[in-house]
Amino acid sequence: MKTVAMFIPCFVDQLNPEVGMDMARVLRRVGYAVDFPEAQTCCGQPGFNSGYWNEARPLAERFVQIFGASDADAIVCPSGSCTTMVRNFYPELLAGSSLLPQAEKLAARVYEFSEFLVKVAQVPDVGASFPHRVAYHDACHALRELRIKQQPRELLKHVRGMELVEMPYCEECCGFGGTFATKFPMISSAMGETKAANAEASGAEYVTSTDSSCLMHIEGVLRLRKSPVRTIHLASILAQTGSPATAGNIAHDAAVADGAR
Amino acid sequence: MSTPAQEFLRNAATKSADLAHRRTIRTGIDHYEAAVARTGARFQDWEAARQRLHEVKWEAINHLDKYLVEFETRLKERGGHVYWAETAEDARRYIADLAARNNVRTVVKSKSMVTEEIDLTHTLEKDGVKVYETDLGEMIVQLRNEPPYHLMTPAMHLTRAEIADLFREKLGGVESDDPQHLVGIARRALRKAFFSAEMGISGANFLVADSGMMALTTNEGNGRLGTSLPRIHVAVAGIEKVIPRMEDLAVIWPALARSAVGQPIACYNTLIGGPRAPHETDGPEEFHLVLLDNGRSELLADPEQREVLHCIRCGACLNVCPVFRKIGGHSYGAVYGGPIGSVLMPHLGGLNKFQHLSFASSLCGACTDACPVKIDLHHHLLQNRRNAVQSADRPASERAAFGLWSWVLKGSGRFAFFGAAARALLRVAYSLGLARTPLDPLRPWTKAHAPPEIPAKSFRELWKEQRGAS
Amino acid sequence: MEQAENSGRDRILARVRSALRKTAPKHAAPAPSGPIFAPITDSLDRFQKECALNLTECVITSDMGASAAAVGEVLASIPAGGIFVQDAPQLRRIVPLWQQGREIRWSSEGGPLESSQATVTLAESLVAQTGSVFVSSSCGGRGASVAAPVHIVVATLDQLVSDLEAAFARLRERGAQEKNSMLCLITGSSRTADIEKILVMGAHGPRRLVVVLSR
Repeated sequence: MKTVAMFIPCFVDQLNPEVGMDMARVLRRVGYAVDFPEAQTCCGQPGFNSGYWNEARPLAERFVQIFGASDADAIVCPSGSCTTMVRNFYPELLAGSSLLPQAEKLAARVYEFSEFLVKVAQVPDVGASFPHRVAYHDACHALRELRIKQQPRELLKHVRGMELVEMPYCEECCGFGGTFATKFPMISSAMGETKAANAEASGAEYVTSTDSSCLMHIEGVLRLRKSPVRTIHLASILAQTGSPATAGNIAHDAAVADGAR
Repeated sequence: MSTPAQEFLRNAATKSADLAHRRTIRTGIDHYEAAVARTGARFQDWEAARQRLHEVKWEAINHLDKYLVEFETRLKERGGHVYWAETAEDARRYIADLAARNNVRTVVKSKSMVTEEIDLTHTLEKDGVKVYETDLGEMIVQLRNEPPYHLMTPAMHLTRAEIADLFREKLGGVESDDPQHLVGIARRALRKAFFSAEMGISGANFLVADSGMMALTTNEGNGRLGTSLPRIHVAVAGIEKVIPRMEDLAVIWPALARSAVGQPIACYNTLIGGPRAPHETDGPEEFHLVLLDNGRSELLADPEQREVLHCIRCGACLNVCPVFRKIGGHSYGAVYGGPIGSVLMPHLGGLNKFQHLSFASSLCGACTDACPVKIDLHHHLLQNRRNAVQSADRPASERAAFGLWSWVLKGSGRFAFFGAAARALLRVAYSLGLARTPLDPLRPWTKAHAPPEIPAKSFRELWKEQRGAS
Repeated sequence: MEQAENSGRDRILARVRSALRKTAPKHAAPAPSGPIFAPITDSLDRFQKECALNLTECVITSDMGASAAAVGEVLASIPAGGIFVQDAPQLRRIVPLWQQGREIRWSSEGGPLESSQATVTLAESLVAQTGSVFVSSSCGGRGASVAAPVHIVVATLDQLVSDLEAAFARLRERGAQEKNSMLCLITGSSRTADIEKILVMGAHGPRRLVVVLSR
């Protein structure tokens, strides 16, 4: 049986664990054995993006060693920006490192979740059901670094009962940008407001994307303006089958994740 | 005395909250995007055009000495003067002296960002010379006594009503805010200046090495008039403006117009080779080209970022930038704004002074996609950030924070521990109702966001549990 | 005129040469790569379509006599006043056919006057790809194509080339860039998008550009 090693972004691990669980659920459903290399922590992107390349480099080297040792057929990540870091930026960050050749080989095996399902697994229909009107936000790294535009939409089009709508200016940045959101909060939130208003204008009930970092930002803005629109990660939509069994699993995970609140 | 970074934060905050300004910009950008979509179809292979332009500029910049000398030789053969200015002051002094020697009282000037860079107009005005900006957008901001808002459309931040009021006050004869009517007023106001000025000053979009001619593109015809009627023509150009051959313009001219304003081609694409030739019946008697270094040769010496000098100043990167759309052109506080300015200013104006511009980006990459000469703009922003951390002043707290971050993430056990501790702290804080108060640990975030739901268990904890259960 | 000493030249060139000792990378070409512009099969048709789009008035005539009459019609539609004409044999020959009592200033006398109502010139070539006119300072001088509210170009079909590449080739064959201190590719009449990025016609150059093209 084919195996997939999951690359779980640090903020998904700590703040959106359901995204990882849902991705595992979908991968199993389409016939993959799923592994989670527990030694992983972070790809190093936050430091890299802020100019702290020397601080990010050891994390990148660590990543290459951990996943280089995995014999999984593919490494799959529920984030366009983290996939971008490994595929597009590790060669620059690790220039001069003895691990550069390994990093370049590894890059060829790393996929963002939606591009894996459509391009590698070739399963655009994952048997999902989500009877709601949904708009897709084109996360910037996924769109412009990995050229992911059609793949998520193709997956969403096969979701039973779901209506896919397009937001005005769907390709315009939501304004998260990592530390940009805390360094330049007024610009970031103005961009977030525009994205939120466009989501509302589309008539969507949910906004989805490949990246929960964008969604966390958009959700925070939507909740502040008491918007009826909610956010949900692409993996979480694809995990829904409408059957009581899976609904139960989701409820269980949610309960466990929430713990005593 | 506030720093450029502090001023930037203030201006950006003000403009980001200004909904009327955002609407004006959005309207202008929508017109632009619609025009580009229409024009795009004229290129059978736009990516091939971008690659061609990249190769033309690569050839020119990576053999810059050869092409500059060839250009100078040919231009001098035509009777033109070439002055090489190392600094802004150098360039200003040469032109001011030239004007004084020739008793120049009136100058007509076409739009030129490099003349803004060297602050030429103020220098001439201090010498008692009347300088008329003849590009409509530049003329408008000159009347308002403010710098250009955008390197291609200097007055796009103003509505027609605001321009009508301005003309009513400064020029008279305004009957409506119809753009056609307002343009007519500007035309009439400047016509006398064109016919009476002793000197015309222009920039140059390109310097064509093989023919010793400068290329000048305008839509209005102001550049044509200003370089045909006055007795002396002075052109100022950065040394990076060189292209090898006249034929390169066959692709450059349409690409420039498409990227700049969404036009198939600009109205007047002119090639000027010096003063009037001996057998010609009109045209300037004298021509001076001022070649400006002003930090460009240093950027040239950085092979990683040398391609930033390929910029043809089309302004497309500004138009597509989501940050520009929020903060507008004046917030940058620099001659060159938008993505190209954010990349360039740390090099031309100093890393410590302008590094904040390279950080004020979400790195969305729209600029890189839009650039007709394939400059990797957002990657250069990342490189500037790296350079800032390695050789400029960054806050000590930031250096400490990323040192700690790196240490924590080097071990999965450490990461799990600190992650759990942080989440526990947040859950306690939020259960005590501290969200969005001064005691909120995530206060920088929750200033503009509702507080996030904090899970009790991380993914790795859930995964372990699930594996244990099966 | 003696030029002041310019020591900056050598220092700038030295810095440039030193900088270029290191090579900079090139971007890879996208694969596969096709022709940048679609080939043009019917130049006249394309020229007319482009003129319609960029608001150049294009009048096709059967011969020079008919062209002269067409010029006369344009002049009849503009206010009274003097005109500025390129001093070329073809234009000298047909002047009586359209002068209509207007005062003519020939380009050999100097540049156009502030009061000139129109200018009449020949061209170096016409370009179908963009519906453009390529003029030079040989076409009545620098001011001729830009100083008056109306610019009339008298051309013949054999001057029409398909695209910009062909236009530059033609200029180079004739040594036009050596013989002239100015070349200008004119596409439509003067315009600006400086107010709310909306295109408005008739800025500082001519409001009307008329091409009279005889077969």
